[in-house]
Amino acid sequence: MITLRNIRKSYFVGERELPILKGINLDIRQGELVILMGVSGSGKTTLMNIVGLLDKQTAGEYQFMGSAVDGLDDETLASMRNMHIGFVFQQFFLLPYLNAIENVLIPIVYSAKQIKHPRDKARQLLARFGLAERIHNKPSQLSGGEQQRVAIARALINDPDLILADEPTGALDSRTGSEIMDLFQVLNEEGKTIIVVTHDPKLTSFGTRLIRIEDGTISEDITR
Amino acid sequence: MGLFQKISQGREFLEEIFKILYYYRGRVVFSFAGVALGILSICIIITTIEGANKKAKEVFEALGPDSIMVFGGGERQRAARTRISTLTFRDADALQRIEGIYDLTKVYQVRNVTMRYREKKWQTNVIGATTNYFESFSWGFQVGSVFTGDDYDHAEAVCVIGSKVYNELFSGEDALGKTILVGKLPAKVIGVLQERGGAAAGPNIDDRVIMPLTTVMSRITNEKKYLGSIRLKTNRDPDRTVEDVRTVLRTNHGLQGTSEDDFTIRSSKDILKFVTVISGQLFLFLGLASIVALVVSGFVLANLFYLTIQERRKDIGIRRAYGASRKGILLSFLFESVLITLMGGVAGILLSVVLGGTFEKLFDIPMLFTYKVIVFAMTFSFLTGLLSGLRPALRASRIEPIEAIRG
Repeated sequence: MITLRNIRKSYFVGERELPILKGINLDIRQGELVILMGVSGSGKTTLMNIVGLLDKQTAGEYQFMGSAVDGLDDETLASMRNMHIGFVFQQFFLLPYLNAIENVLIPIVYSAKQIKHPRDKARQLLARFGLAERIHNKPSQLSGGEQQRVAIARALINDPDLILADEPTGALDSRTGSEIMDLFQVLNEEGKTIIVVTHDPKLTSFGTRLIRIEDGTISEDITR
Repeated sequence: MGLFQKISQGREFLEEIFKILYYYRGRVVFSFAGVALGILSICIIITTIEGANKKAKEVFEALGPDSIMVFGGGERQRAARTRISTLTFRDADALQRIEGIYDLTKVYQVRNVTMRYREKKWQTNVIGATTNYFESFSWGFQVGSVFTGDDYDHAEAVCVIGSKVYNELFSGEDALGKTILVGKLPAKVIGVLQERGGAAAGPNIDDRVIMPLTTVMSRITNEKKYLGSIRLKTNRDPDRTVEDVRTVLRTNHGLQGTSEDDFTIRSSKDILKFVTVISGQLFLFLGLASIVALVVSGFVLANLFYLTIQERRKDIGIRRAYGASRKGILLSFLFESVLITLMGGVAGILLSVVLGGTFEKLFDIPMLFTYKVIVFAMTFSFLTGLLSGLRPALRASRIEPIEAIRG
């Protein structure tokens, strides 16, 4: 599903080159639940942004769903993100002026997919995550765990092939955090491909595969 | 992609925009109010100008394209609003003999005379005129008829009243044959004129009392020599007739060489020109003022909008991550700003309808609300939204999702 070949990413501060990713080679297959672990500054978020088509590598080759994505224009990348990827973020990033179900429906506005009865689907997703009573609440009226579940429902509404979660438990207490991880586990068992980026060593026990990233290179890659 | 999906996406999109507007209502209200006021003034200007033009045409038609007015006093005295009597019966007789003149009305007007009928009072202008006055203005009667040559020769106390005066004094009652007090003179009502209406600004055409010239001069003001004005109709070229009239009057008044005219000549054309110039100036000044108002509110909109972009970085980042392209962001922000100004425009139009009616009543300004107003107002508000939204929308579209989402 994802093939990365010798991916490099550098930032330039004036004349100085600041390498973040130093040649990443990685294959991620359909149905995996990958825990991408690394300390802050290791380059894990940069890697996730490249995988998520939000950022471009400085060098190397990236194939997503069997086709090279280098050199694609903004419009095509946006539509690929919409159709294939669902994002979950540490800070949830729900829009404050929309209620739970409206937040879940955001990707639908930009979607070229034929999602039938998106509203019903959003309602079902929220109900499944125990938020049936909360669908008309604004984010400010929801707890952190509830907000993150709304965000996961939003990531799922468009039937993506891949879910990218960046520190999804980072803003939650450990109990709520492991509830969210259990949810990812269940979704993975149903066939979703999921990549969870984290620095939290407690999450090592989850997933089908653990990848450690250190100083811009992969230091460990264990498939269970 | 199915049409149904497009529609439901559009609906979703619109709902979101309205929620955004509500969420940022502080900013929206300012921009909205600014645009509404700007559009309001544009609407008022256009309706006033349209009204003035309509009135000019009506006056032109009422006077007839072939009519020429001659007043006592030169341009300079008229400008200083001092009335100088210089026209005499002898002048009128001389003018009558000019080639092409087929109608001549002698007029003597007295302003602000109090009319009384029983306990009712009404102040209006009394016009002393020759018997051809009504025919000359092609003015018909509701009831009664014109005063006769006999009434004229004997300075009889008879009067014809305008429909406005009739309404004020008699309000539906039968007026014919009743006696009213014109100042101190009891006069018999022998006719009520048809309503002319329409020509608002300035004195109402229907608000007047017409009596034989002889009666007004001898029994109301005791004027023996001078007329107020003379109205001529010619079947020759009006410009040439104007020249002839000038020559005759200058000779009669003994004016020589470069000495100024002690009378003023106005043709229908002049009146039309005058109103056109007035409305042109009105357009210039008020138009400028309202454009300034719109530009200012456009800047307010642009700046407040620009400021909120920072606040909405995360929002933009999320939308970009979930499939909005740069173009999509640009368009939705432009749409938002145009929506605000269009709503402002609609509010301005509605306000102008309400206020326009009040204006019309209060100041007696004629206003004509046409489709032009709506076209102008909506175009201006659309442009304001588009132009002021452009910079903020461009900025929004350039926000990189990873920067927006980071921390």
